[in-house]
Amino acid sequence: MLREEGRTYRFRGTWRAGRSNWRLQILSVFSLGVAFVCLASALLVVSNLTTVRDRWSRAGRATVYLRDDAGESDVKALVRALEATAGVERVRYVSRDVARNEVLDGTGDSGLAALPPEAFPASIELSLTDGIGDMELNMMALKLRALPSVDTVDTYQKWTERLSSLLHGAVTASLLLALVVLGAVISVVASTMRLLLERRRPEVEVLRLVGATTRFVCRPFVVEGAVQGAFGALAAVVAVGLLYGIVRSRFDQQLATLLGVSPAFLPWPMILGMVASGAVLGAAAAWLSIRKTVQI
Amino acid sequence: MGSAQRSLRSVLRPGHRFDPTAADRPIAVFEDVCKSFRADQPVLREMSLTLQRGEFLFITGPSGAGKSTLLRLLYRAELPDEGRILFMGRDIARLSPKSIPALRRNMGVVFQDFKLVPGWSAFENVAIALEVIGLPSRIIRTRVGEVLERVGLNGRGDTRVELLSGGEQQRVAIARAIVGEPALILADEPTGNLDPQLAIDILGLFEDIHDNGTTVVFATHDRTLLDVRPRRVVVLDEGKATDATNGLDEINWDGAEDDSGIRAAS
Repeated sequence: MLREEGRTYRFRGTWRAGRSNWRLQILSVFSLGVAFVCLASALLVVSNLTTVRDRWSRAGRATVYLRDDAGESDVKALVRALEATAGVERVRYVSRDVARNEVLDGTGDSGLAALPPEAFPASIELSLTDGIGDMELNMMALKLRALPSVDTVDTYQKWTERLSSLLHGAVTASLLLALVVLGAVISVVASTMRLLLERRRPEVEVLRLVGATTRFVCRPFVVEGAVQGAFGALAAVVAVGLLYGIVRSRFDQQLATLLGVSPAFLPWPMILGMVASGAVLGAAAAWLSIRKTVQI
Repeated sequence: MGSAQRSLRSVLRPGHRFDPTAADRPIAVFEDVCKSFRADQPVLREMSLTLQRGEFLFITGPSGAGKSTLLRLLYRAELPDEGRILFMGRDIARLSPKSIPALRRNMGVVFQDFKLVPGWSAFENVAIALEVIGLPSRIIRTRVGEVLERVGLNGRGDTRVELLSGGEQQRVAIARAIVGEPALILADEPTGNLDPQLAIDILGLFEDIHDNGTTVVFATHDRTLLDVRPRRVVVLDEGKATDATNGLDEINWDGAEDDSGIRAAS
């Protein structure tokens, strides 16, 4: 029952204050939105880089480059052996001519066209199953490299490693941005709450006079802080979503070709997490900023 | 029987026994209270005063005599420098910050400047005193309605307080003070902003409240109010309280006039 009444004043007080100080509230939400836009953008980059890294780490491809002097019978035996190997889904032999044609079809470069067929090594392309791990793949590459007809084996792991390192950098940058956002949220909400407290001093005085506890007095401010934080985060998600929509409509095809995956917007759990974090941060900042001032 | 014993145990803590004489004890006692805001100008000097339950007490004296300070000490807006102030047997100065709201819920305070929340309706201004103690909305609606009717504001509950006249605003403040049925009402120059007839009407309201058994402390420097009905009168002058129920004429009303910040507190 007591909780119910607390709610009555908390929400009525918040609504009343929000109505009478709407300019200040909007300004505060805007400032918080700007801070959260940085965080949301960083999260968008990180989430897409993670997808790209996952895509490439599960690329399921390897290329076995053959020596120039590899005999046809050796190659056929190798293809048969690979087809029978666990974890290998498909084996495709690519002769020099086929390799040359594929490269020229992809680029149309006249310089490349002038090169002799010997410049394009024959290879065997392997499609691997999803279940094959890094360790098994490395073991397979090691064994293949030991064969006399094999020149080298490319498992594309370097790409994954580079992407991982890029992702690591992006995550670090996001964490730093999160700290900046944390500071910004606390600063903006605290300033807004102090201003609101000043404007609502008569109300606070009356509350103290009639025997309200510090917690009771703080409640509407804490709710306001939470609402501001949540709306700031939500506004940032909407703004970043709009920008993402514009970018995607223009560059979706290019990005998909370049990265091998279509870019995606922030996942729902991340959006909800950001809004919830905004609310929690806003509430905490409001509580911390006014607690001492309204203490009896 | 077992459940009755359990419920009693939860109410009576060890060392606390129901005392039937408690009702006969004074509601508030000032014992040698000293208070100063500047070292060289004490407002109260070893002031002693006993306030009986159900009493209507006028505190009077010139501006700056310490009337407001005395009331502020009672609702723990100030702490005494020396001495003790007991409210219902408890030393107010030794209350923990968490206990202060409970103390204030036992008192209703009315001010000269009304101290209403602008933008709120008369109903909301009164209801807040019940909301802080967590009564259900249904009971709040009923009780606030009754109290507004009692102070002569029937039908004005939805009006924003800034749209009410001075007298009506003071009635809202009185309604807020009494809606929680406190043991003690403190009125700090409640008629200071009102014309003489309105002041007498407001005093009448306080007398009605007192007739219902509530203890009232009415601080005023308006001598005409003291003559309306015979009541106990305590004069504050030069930091001391003097019982002057029958000897008001001997008090020098102009002597303590002072423009210092301390005096302004009154």
